[in-house]
Amino acid sequence: MTAPLVALEDGAIGYGRRAFLSGLSISVGEGDFLAVVGPNGGGKTTLLRTLLGAQPLLHGRLVRPRPLRIGYVPQREHVDAIWPFTVGEVALMGRVPALGLLRSPRAADVDAVRRSLARVGIEELAGRWYGELSGGQRQRTLIARALAAEPELLALDEPTNGMDPGAELATMDLLRDLQDGTSLAIVMVSHRIEAVANYARTIAFVDQDARLFRVGGVDEMLRPDALAALYRRPVEVRVENGRRYVYAAAGEGKR
Amino acid sequence: MMGALQGFVAAREIWEVPLAASVVAGALLGALGVYVVLRRTVFVSAALTQVSTLGLVGTLLVEERFHIETEHASEQLAVAITVSAIGALLLGAFRPKRLPAEATVGATWVVGSALVVLGVSRLVHAAHDLQGLVFGNAVAVPASDLAVIAVVSLVTIAVHTAFAKELAFTSFDPETAQALGMPVRLWDAVLFLTIGVAIPPAARALGALPVFAFLTLPAAGALMLRVGFRPAFALAASFGVLAAASGYVLSWIWEIPTGATMVAIAAALAVPGAIWRLARG
Repeated sequence: MTAPLVALEDGAIGYGRRAFLSGLSISVGEGDFLAVVGPNGGGKTTLLRTLLGAQPLLHGRLVRPRPLRIGYVPQREHVDAIWPFTVGEVALMGRVPALGLLRSPRAADVDAVRRSLARVGIEELAGRWYGELSGGQRQRTLIARALAAEPELLALDEPTNGMDPGAELATMDLLRDLQDGTSLAIVMVSHRIEAVANYARTIAFVDQDARLFRVGGVDEMLRPDALAALYRRPVEVRVENGRRYVYAAAGEGKR
Repeated sequence: MMGALQGFVAAREIWEVPLAASVVAGALLGALGVYVVLRRTVFVSAALTQVSTLGLVGTLLVEERFHIETEHASEQLAVAITVSAIGALLLGAFRPKRLPAEATVGATWVVGSALVVLGVSRLVHAAHDLQGLVFGNAVAVPASDLAVIAVVSLVTIAVHTAFAKELAFTSFDPETAQALGMPVRLWDAVLFLTIGVAIPPAARALGALPVFAFLTLPAAGALMLRVGFRPAFALAASFGVLAAASGYVLSWIWEIPTGATMVAIAAALAVPGAIWRLARG
């Protein structure tokens, strides 16, 4: 077992002074794929931002044994497409935090951007306006920007939100390919368990309304009883051709 | 027409400083407008103009009540800049997140306007001074005001050049910038400070209405032409210069209000971009 890149020990998360979930312990190590799943407004993004240190921890300890290169992919609806940036310019922003003040991007930065665009398959779009891209292309641009930082930890907030099933699968396949043969760790927030069921290695259920926080391996978390605690209704898991399918079963829910 | 133009040229000593101040202010506001438009904060500039005017009125009231004689208007300008800078920080960088932006900006604008009206009604002698300070004066911009605008412009250019990548990233995607450890509020404060400091001296040269217009129309015109982020600053500044200079000259020749002429020309300069965008669908 490798040392964690980042970990939360007995943490409490929330806004202001109000903690809406406490007693949280979770860690992310090299090569991990952690999916944070729960309903909209359940506290998933707050947990992610707290793990990244972008939001203060209300109680407990955030452990980061060494400085960490992080790539972050926000929900693409949060990025205003009226800004007149090209795909290449957006991706180059991923290098800004590490550049430091009063330093302009150099050839190495431009090279890193070119490589990151190539990794997500949109190198030919480098000169196109970000605002004129399709939703899927914008998502790949934001992932390329995160990769341009040459991250050890890639954090994504609802990257498949609003996508059709084909685009969702393509995005998830891309994330799996990015990890292939590397030690890249991924933390992904999603309200859709179906999106991550066949990709994540660890899953955390987060729902502040139900005061629910549970984390474990995929086999443990994708059991009907565990899923029923999250969705508060019977849930079934079917395996076909090696893929898991999660769906709500008939029966009364408790919402 | 020719006679009017000859008369204008002959009166150079009267207009050279005001025209220069208008041109510099037009360039400065045009460039800053790129951020104002892209960050969807155009009404922040309107509210800030009211807030800086309120600062002026407050200063004039204090001067009248306490019989403080000031030979120059630099004290009023200093107060206006201070008040506007504080307002810019409160409205732009440290706005309470529990209220929608429109509510905060709208409330500032309407309360500021009301207090200005009330304050002016209590002024005995200085109301005439205020007219020029708030609505601009095409023939009475002192060289000291031109110097203030020039210094503010140079500082603004230096700040925006030195920190271009930080200001652009934190404005475009504050969520990601913050997640990556960048001090987003600090960069917001830097950006809005440059806007807040620019407004009062520009308002003295151009007037309140043109300041609002110059922070919106040249940038909108440039951005609609899809020239890219960095070129948009140069193009918007050029539109600002063109509108200020031609508006000044034409208003002199045709004897029509200067500020309104500048605004009309700034709007006309935005038309090609609007047509181009409409044509592209």
